[in-house]
Amino acid sequence: MGLFRRHPVLPLGLLFAAGLVLAPLFAPRGTLNDLWNMAFYVVLASAWNLLGGFAGQVSLGYSAFVGIGAYTTVLLANAGWSPALTLPVGAAIAVAFSVAVGLPTFRLRGPYFTIATIGVGEAVRVIASGLEFTGGSSGLRMPAGTFDFSTNYHAMVGLALVTLALVAGLQQHAFGLSLEAIRQDIDAAEALGVNSTRTKLQAHAISAALVAIAGGLFATNFQYISPGSVFDFRLSLTIVLMPIVGGMGTLVGPVLGAMLFSYLQIKLLASPALRDSYLFIYGGLLIVVMLFEPKGMVGLWERLVGLRPWRRTPAVAEARRVS
Amino acid sequence: MSRLACLGALAVVVFGLPARAQDEVRIGAVLPVTGKESKIGGAYKQATELAVKEANDAGGVQVGGKKMKVNLSLLDDTSDASKSAQLVEQLITQNKSHAIIGGYGSHLVQAQSVVPDRYGVPYLSGGAGATAIYGRSKWVFGTLSPVEHLADTQMKFLDDLVKQGKLKTPLTIALVTENTEHGNDYVKGVTDFVKSHPGYKVVVQEKFELNTTDYRPLLQRVAEAKADLFLADSHLEDFIAMHRTYTQMGLHHLMLTHGARGSDAAARKALGPATDFVFASGWWSDLLPYPQVKEFNARYKAATGVEPQWYHAMAYETTRALLVAISKAGSLDPEKIRAALAGLRMEKSIAPGQVLSFTRTGQCDLPFVVTQNKPGGKVDLVWPKEDATGPTIAPIPTK
Amino acid sequence: MQKLVVVALNSLLAAGLYATMSYGLAVIYGVMRIINLAHAGLMMLAAYATYALNDRFGLDPFLSLVIVAPAFFLIGVALYATLIRWLARSSAGPSMQSLLLLFGVWLVLQNLAYAIWGGDTQSILTPYTMQSLEVLGGRFGVPQILVFGVSILSLVGLNLVLRRTYLGKAIRAVTQNRDAAMLSGVNAGQIAAVAFGIGTAFAAMAGSMLSTLYAFTPDFGRSFLLKAFCIIVLGGMESFTGVAVGALVLAFIENFASAYTSIPVSYQDAISFTLLVVVLVAAPGGLPGLWRMLDRRALAR
Repeated sequence: MGLFRRHPVLPLGLLFAAGLVLAPLFAPRGTLNDLWNMAFYVVLASAWNLLGGFAGQVSLGYSAFVGIGAYTTVLLANAGWSPALTLPVGAAIAVAFSVAVGLPTFRLRGPYFTIATIGVGEAVRVIASGLEFTGGSSGLRMPAGTFDFSTNYHAMVGLALVTLALVAGLQQHAFGLSLEAIRQDIDAAEALGVNSTRTKLQAHAISAALVAIAGGLFATNFQYISPGSVFDFRLSLTIVLMPIVGGMGTLVGPVLGAMLFSYLQIKLLASPALRDSYLFIYGGLLIVVMLFEPKGMVGLWERLVGLRPWRRTPAVAEARRVS
Repeated sequence: MSRLACLGALAVVVFGLPARAQDEVRIGAVLPVTGKESKIGGAYKQATELAVKEANDAGGVQVGGKKMKVNLSLLDDTSDASKSAQLVEQLITQNKSHAIIGGYGSHLVQAQSVVPDRYGVPYLSGGAGATAIYGRSKWVFGTLSPVEHLADTQMKFLDDLVKQGKLKTPLTIALVTENTEHGNDYVKGVTDFVKSHPGYKVVVQEKFELNTTDYRPLLQRVAEAKADLFLADSHLEDFIAMHRTYTQMGLHHLMLTHGARGSDAAARKALGPATDFVFASGWWSDLLPYPQVKEFNARYKAATGVEPQWYHAMAYETTRALLVAISKAGSLDPEKIRAALAGLRMEKSIAPGQVLSFTRTGQCDLPFVVTQNKPGGKVDLVWPKEDATGPTIAPIPTK
Repeated sequence: MQKLVVVALNSLLAAGLYATMSYGLAVIYGVMRIINLAHAGLMMLAAYATYALNDRFGLDPFLSLVIVAPAFFLIGVALYATLIRWLARSSAGPSMQSLLLLFGVWLVLQNLAYAIWGGDTQSILTPYTMQSLEVLGGRFGVPQILVFGVSILSLVGLNLVLRRTYLGKAIRAVTQNRDAAMLSGVNAGQIAAVAFGIGTAFAAMAGSMLSTLYAFTPDFGRSFLLKAFCIIVLGGMESFTGVAVGALVLAFIENFASAYTSIPVSYQDAISFTLLVVVLVAAPGGLPGLWRMLDRRALAR
């Protein structure tokens, strides 16, 4: 019971997990598709959050890892590998790539790092579109007979739950605390003995691996990939939007963001009037979150239950008056 | 676990879903009505809906002994490939569509086309000519003929000009294509022809990304190669941007094409007389001299206020072909519909050649038309020769 | 040799446009340390506005700059007053908050354009669009030359304002050290609003000029935005002359790479992205930083 008191969100989380796992028993295929999408986004958002939310290093180039995972799976599957075995290989390549990118770019701080990651992501996309063995812009197909929705569904849900458990574990561990420290004040953290570069690289690698596995599962579920579908800048933006709207640097935030985002996608497609305005809605959400509640939905919840004050602290008001 | 799931699913199906009317033909369609492909996607939606409306206005489709109304469920995939595939799945599993009309755009259709095989539902697309899509599943059909044959038709057209004496071999070619499947197929068509015809040689070959910002460097390389013919394959925006730069740089070739582009109204509006003498090849032209085409033009304009372009016509004809096949099948059984599609020979079609039928791979292989822009905003159909409405001007006159 | 001249002139023409595109971003960044992702959306909106003026009233795109630039200046100030002003300011550096807020604004602008004009490709055709002039052996399009001319004029104008007027000096002061500027009596809030307005006006000018060169859809602007990033990073994000230098360097590298190497043209964009990353990592101060470093080394010896 102490466990539940320390982590009030745990019973809800278990219920949520049970719901996901048992859904194929009673939900129609359309809903299962939607849940698969949601689980996919949960993995991407939570994994990104390790580096972006906890450590505060916002990368806009995560679609590169999705693509690496997806292409590794398709290429190896076409060479005869069983899809399941391709996943660790994709993860390994993604980790290597994350280190190669991280080593030079982690020297940069704040939005400079972000801009660099935009450059990397786009460069990867352009190169992938040009290479021959990746099928160029025509894309690639999985070999026949590798599709089984039940397996795909449980694999993605499983990955989502594993990701969340991993993040929860790291959050309590010294590693998670180091990440927090880096976000709050990197110099102070270094002074306290945190090797910021190595920690950042580790966080980057873990999240890259998770995202790549999700990419591999994506390829298995959709059976056809192209640079446009997996190396897309919009995907990178979506990956960043979800934890931000949900609440960066928290365990639950990315999940909320992923759920909101999936829900919006379904609702928007269903209504002709809203369909043409989905950009208004995403853009508007971002604006509202940034202006009023940078801590996202989690922050809003905290204010609602009284954990944080509604008004800004006097110090901030003072500062604003002066400027 | 899976047996439990099956029982569960059965329970859901039996008790959960509302009863489905059995006296209607349920067609599902997933098109890019918004998003990047929205311009043509929207046109496809319009034409598809018109075809269904015409069928319903005539009382419905004759299936076996009964006339059944057509119930069209058309969803927007916002030009997103994964969404597109999932929506097709939804239409099959939840909507219980009897057949699916595919989307527009090779990458969207590619993504969609893996789905019909899983459920055994006939799928007909009027929106993708890439050969890689067809031949993998017996359930997948397409009314757009292969892009390689588009290129091949253009080469044959040029070769015929040589035979007429208007051009002289040897001829060198500048080949510039967009970096997409469409572009790659075009390259294949041209290079295959060149391999078997020694009078032609490709001297410069370049790919460009969609929405390139500056075509100058590309065209600089083309200029240096000093080729005789300029063969390009591009989307509308790129055609406009590239051709502007081309004209400003004062480039000239004996013959010039941008694949399927050239006679588009938007292009003429954006480029003016610079588009004169550009030839284009397409799946359809409103200039085809068949009576059913003239009648279609009038009907389409009356119903929608729009002069039909190739995408309106092909979308319309695709829907019509599906309904005709269902009628021929005499039943809503998926296998029967599929067999009817496979063996279809739809006469009096507005498509070139006037007969619509599918090859072994499920893709059509109909003749392509070639049109050439003439001064004063005129367009002439110049190929097939027997359907020509005007002479071909070759070489392009220098100013 | 002939080719060299032509390629160099092409680069020059491209650089003019690139510089105008980037100045708007640089001004806003300099004064507020804000990375304006909405820049692409504003360029796109200005292109559409120019198109609308041309379509409805037959107004020449270059003449319409007189209307478009001030209008967008006001839009920029309005944006600042309603949205940007409220962002918490971190003294350290640019914040993610502003980045994402403006990204949201970009999405909204895109939807606005879709709602008003639809997703069709639009373009503007004027009597001189297809014409070209022969200069030093190469043919150059008249629109390109006009764009270059307007770019130079506007950059010179901006520079004059920055150096000769109180407003300009205040902007530079805030760019260098906000607190010190405030101590000197500069109203940083007002300056920020004006700077945002100027930045938006420049984005609009760039967009307007781009509309004479390219066909556009609401999606327009993204690749230009990334190039602009590359340029201001190259130029050292805090220097205005640096931006001009950065524009020249990028334009030259792009044009020379495609003219003298056989790198496929489709990889061209990758050049600017890679350059962006390389410069950020190896020379964070951009070219001026590199220059200073070399200078210091020379002095040390």
